[in-house]
Amino acid sequence: MLLYLVWLLPLVGGVGLWAFGPQLKSWAGPIGSALVGVSFIATLFLWRDATAARALDVPLGSWLPGWSFGLLLDRLSLIWTLIITGVGFLIHVYSIGYMDRDRAFARFFAYMNFFVFAMLTLVLSDNVIGLLVGWGLVGLASYFLIGFWFYKPTAVAAARKAFVMNVVGDIGIMFAIFLIVAKLGGIGYGLIFANVGSAFTPHELFLVCLGLFIGCAAKSAQIPLHSWLPDAMEGPTPVSALIHAATMVTAGVYLVARFAPLWSASPDAQELVGAIGALTAIAGAILGCAQWDIKRILAYSTMSQIGYMIMGVGIGAYDAGVFHFLTHAFFKAQLFLGAGIIIHALADEQDVRRMGGLRKQMPFAFAAMLVGVLAISGVPGLSGFFSKDAVVYGALQTGHPWLYAVAVVTAGITAYYMFRLLFVTFFGAYRGAVDPSDLGIRHPELAGTAASPGHHPEEEEPHPHAPGWLMSAPVAILIVPTIAIGWLDFGSNSAWKQFFAGFFPRAADAAGAAPISEAVSTLLVLLAVAIGFAVAYARYGAPAALRGAIARLRTETIRMPGVLVNAYYFDAAFEALLVRPARALGGWFDRTVDPHVIDAGVREAAISAQWLGHLFRSFQTGLVRAYALTLAFGVACIVAYYALAFGGGR
Amino acid sequence: MTVTALVLGPLVIGLLLYLVPREHGGIARLVAVAVGAISFGLALYDPAAGDASVRWLSRPFAASFHLGFGPVSYWIVVLLALATFGAALAVTGPRSRALAAQLLILQGAMNGVFLAKDLLLFALFWDLMLIPVFLVLVEFAPHGRTAWKYLIYNLAGGLALLLATAAFGYLATTTDVIGKSLPAGTIGSVWGAWIFAGFAFAFLIKTPVFPFHTWMPETYAELPAPMVAVVSAVQSKAGLYGFLIVGLPFLAPEMARAQTLMFALGAIALIYGALASLVERDAKRVVAYSSLSHLGLIVLAVFSGSNLAIAGAVVYIVAHGLFSAVLFLALGAVEQREETRDLARLGGLGARNPKLAGALMLGALAALGLPGLAGFSGEILILTGLYRAGFVWPALVALVAVVLASAYMLRLFQGIMNGPEVPDLPERRDMTWTEALAIAPLVAGFVLLGINPAPLVARAAALAQPAPPALVSVRAVPEDSHAAGAR
Amino acid sequence: MNVAPENYVALSAVLFFIGVVGVIARRNPLIMLMSIELLFNAANLALVTYARAWVNNAGHIFAFLVITVAAAEAAIGLAIVAVTFRKEPFVDVDEVSALRG
Repeated sequence: MLLYLVWLLPLVGGVGLWAFGPQLKSWAGPIGSALVGVSFIATLFLWRDATAARALDVPLGSWLPGWSFGLLLDRLSLIWTLIITGVGFLIHVYSIGYMDRDRAFARFFAYMNFFVFAMLTLVLSDNVIGLLVGWGLVGLASYFLIGFWFYKPTAVAAARKAFVMNVVGDIGIMFAIFLIVAKLGGIGYGLIFANVGSAFTPHELFLVCLGLFIGCAAKSAQIPLHSWLPDAMEGPTPVSALIHAATMVTAGVYLVARFAPLWSASPDAQELVGAIGALTAIAGAILGCAQWDIKRILAYSTMSQIGYMIMGVGIGAYDAGVFHFLTHAFFKAQLFLGAGIIIHALADEQDVRRMGGLRKQMPFAFAAMLVGVLAISGVPGLSGFFSKDAVVYGALQTGHPWLYAVAVVTAGITAYYMFRLLFVTFFGAYRGAVDPSDLGIRHPELAGTAASPGHHPEEEEPHPHAPGWLMSAPVAILIVPTIAIGWLDFGSNSAWKQFFAGFFPRAADAAGAAPISEAVSTLLVLLAVAIGFAVAYARYGAPAALRGAIARLRTETIRMPGVLVNAYYFDAAFEALLVRPARALGGWFDRTVDPHVIDAGVREAAISAQWLGHLFRSFQTGLVRAYALTLAFGVACIVAYYALAFGGGR
Repeated sequence: MTVTALVLGPLVIGLLLYLVPREHGGIARLVAVAVGAISFGLALYDPAAGDASVRWLSRPFAASFHLGFGPVSYWIVVLLALATFGAALAVTGPRSRALAAQLLILQGAMNGVFLAKDLLLFALFWDLMLIPVFLVLVEFAPHGRTAWKYLIYNLAGGLALLLATAAFGYLATTTDVIGKSLPAGTIGSVWGAWIFAGFAFAFLIKTPVFPFHTWMPETYAELPAPMVAVVSAVQSKAGLYGFLIVGLPFLAPEMARAQTLMFALGAIALIYGALASLVERDAKRVVAYSSLSHLGLIVLAVFSGSNLAIAGAVVYIVAHGLFSAVLFLALGAVEQREETRDLARLGGLGARNPKLAGALMLGALAALGLPGLAGFSGEILILTGLYRAGFVWPALVALVAVVLASAYMLRLFQGIMNGPEVPDLPERRDMTWTEALAIAPLVAGFVLLGINPAPLVARAAALAQPAPPALVSVRAVPEDSHAAGAR
Repeated sequence: MNVAPENYVALSAVLFFIGVVGVIARRNPLIMLMSIELLFNAANLALVTYARAWVNNAGHIFAFLVITVAAAEAAIGLAIVAVTFRKEPFVDVDEVSALRG
């Protein structure tokens, strides 16, 4: 029963705040936050049930025989539920401060609560249809929140793009459901996992995994369905922190981990997922080096980090992948909320070229960002170090040296662009007053400097200022797990490994085949990180670099390769290959085929009827004597007929 | 008694409304709202109402004035009552009396179509239901030819239907057959093909399905919003209903023989409608073309012969009725405020009309198949059924249409509600409570149906052929295998 | 006195022929109406002749019917002629073609 509460409280909040928001005024924020907080506490009470030998499974109802729905809280969904409600609660509290001056304060919290509900539906469902329902609803919540400032055309376009690309993922999952129902007749996880071996041929199993993975790729921004994520940064920053960093985008990781028995039975699918994860990791990291918008840098880093997770769960290192999700949820939320403090203080300035030197004015934000950057870069002792190390070494353990190499290189690039972000933002002199063109910014209005009308209606204060306690407290709380949570997975028999002992199918153990020990691997990763840091320091952090910062940023902006600026031209390719042809064909149907082909056929029929009419009309002369003659002729014909037919016979 | 009242009540009251003085349109509207509400209540109160039957003809074949609830028609009648209620609430303007009266006549005639248990009666009500739409088009449509196009297309279908019914009656010696079964071989294969062709022609035009659809965008765009809400919600289902209650039980071999052709037409309609609504500028025509696409999916389901897909088709028929009525009513409210339906001219209304934006959003979400709403539950049942029955390619084509649906529905919504506010649009107040009251029951309907379509699915099982196999077969589920780790 | 039916029939045919020629050849509406009367009466004569020859009253009854119709026809025909003539005086039916399609 408590599980119903966990699940439905955010829904109550979502619907209630949506309906009664205008009456609740500034109470909407605290109420919305409290509901998620209660949900979190209730989940903690369910810990024992979830980790019992038989996981908690509550039935909900049934559509058809075999199509019954229920809520399932086991170890995997427990981790996710805790992150969703826990980190979700902190971000809700933060939003009370961040969104305080927005007109649609209540609507924002309604959407956020609705998102939490949708995400819980996704992870708590015990069947594929329920999963798909959650999958679709989080897409909707994401759509609402990306397009939250719906008077901005860029936000509207970004929201639509995110939704449509996510529907592409949805149909992938639908396809998997077709196969599952066609083979098994039911939709429950229990039924599916019990029949993995017997019901599917390897080819079918691969197709099921492929369908599911299309869903993952769309939701978790994996290549080639990633391009919506950077655009999604049009939403308010707390949204980016909750949805597009900590929880929703990691749903793909959940999906692969949830369907681990399927993946483990289909090595081809594992290879595919591992490769795409690694590719996304490195591609996202490289793009992160070419961005100037603070949130887009973080977005590409999210894409890259999810690439790590997907690679981990793809190759069979499930607990490592899930662990990276856990740590990432903390440090990425931390980074986004830190960035949000800066953006909020600078009146929606997001371009790092127009920041600089904020270390002194905003020491708290600096501290928060520093911890986040250290964690994501994998500096020893912080959370990111442990989880990334586990994933990277997992690649080697399961016999994927190429993926391992990519992962190590990516670690170096990650350190580079994150420290670049840190140096450009916080060191040197403040550049907010510098003419944008001196920094190489040609169209300030397009460069993410969101001058959103109506957002801050009265005062515009581009002074860096300290955040209120509502914004700083959640960030301060997040610092703790960002630093410490990694120690859960310290050592070969860690708490984390025990927690998931026997939960995931064991990877077909190529263990022992690893050519180097874990310690050597760790040193290699650290070496890459050190190189990344050193390059970033030399380019942006050293005293000499700081003095010439303006000129350097200018040349770098101008010389940035087009392939990076345009994110490998994925959007252009989609536009040219899919969107334009579809629109052209639709226009042809609507404006040519309908009126001039199909209707032309109908018109021809009408015209021939008209022609017949004209023919008959010519008989109608209006001359009485002509009619009489016709009549007489007719009579003569009849008489002649009878005369010929019967007259001669007598 | 109930069923007779559902048919004759609205018809008679609709005609009597013409006695109300022209300037008292408000009274006529209230009466229509009341009739809608009462028929809804009546249908819910008495779902097990007995048939009403009076012998009518005995030569050349037996025919009766026979009305009664059937497994599918019950829900369509409920849907129609809801749609009429909402539409009547949305009636405004100087010519309210005519519109309210014609709405009731339309409701009565369509109740006749769906409740008829006699094929001849079905065919007669079929033609009767064209008249109110035609008259309203004559009075309200800006282009005179729209009315004639509607009438000629649909009368051509009606004529084919009548001929096919006559031939059917001649062979079966009775037309009082709906909901019953005939001895095998009553309709030989030679005549069967012709009879099926006649029925199919009428049904395909009415639905409509490519290439008989060109009357539809014009009619939908030019009908006043309340009328088009009812027409697209219910009248467009008459053809599909016909396939379900005439085609499946009596002409199954012919249905099977026509399968390839119908799949082709359905699939073309599916993609054709989706692409056309992706570029159409007139908001009502966007929804019209989307209907072409959605109904194409139901055609696929009906001809698949899969029980799962047919159950899905029944769910989707009702779901589409609910959400298309919501969409047209919301668009009507938009048009009434801004005096245009051109997406290129509209924009940014959401800021001043948040409730209206919410209504349109909900309709659009149901239409694009958002999981959790009725459109999805129908869609997933149909698609799963198609795939399960071995129709892999149609299922894949339909998946593409699902993606397109999200693109054009969001384009419609965002084009009207989002973006910067357009300065030269008239500024009006947000949704009134009557508008909200018109839309709310429909929205509640598709939310409930999305959460649990089981009642419809159960009824649809009764449609299945003589010995319905279980809708899905379930393998034995081993105990305690719920968690991934329990292997 | 017994006259053979053939003679009546022959007379009827002659009358009918005269009527037809009258309708087709003459242009004066009144003459045309009179010719139509001739046609009717030719038919009547034939009907009555056969009725008598075959001892069957149906022919007589038909003749009455024809007489009634002829009366109606004459009334309506004359009315049409009168109305048309009042609008535009004419002596030639070929000048009247208001019903031309």
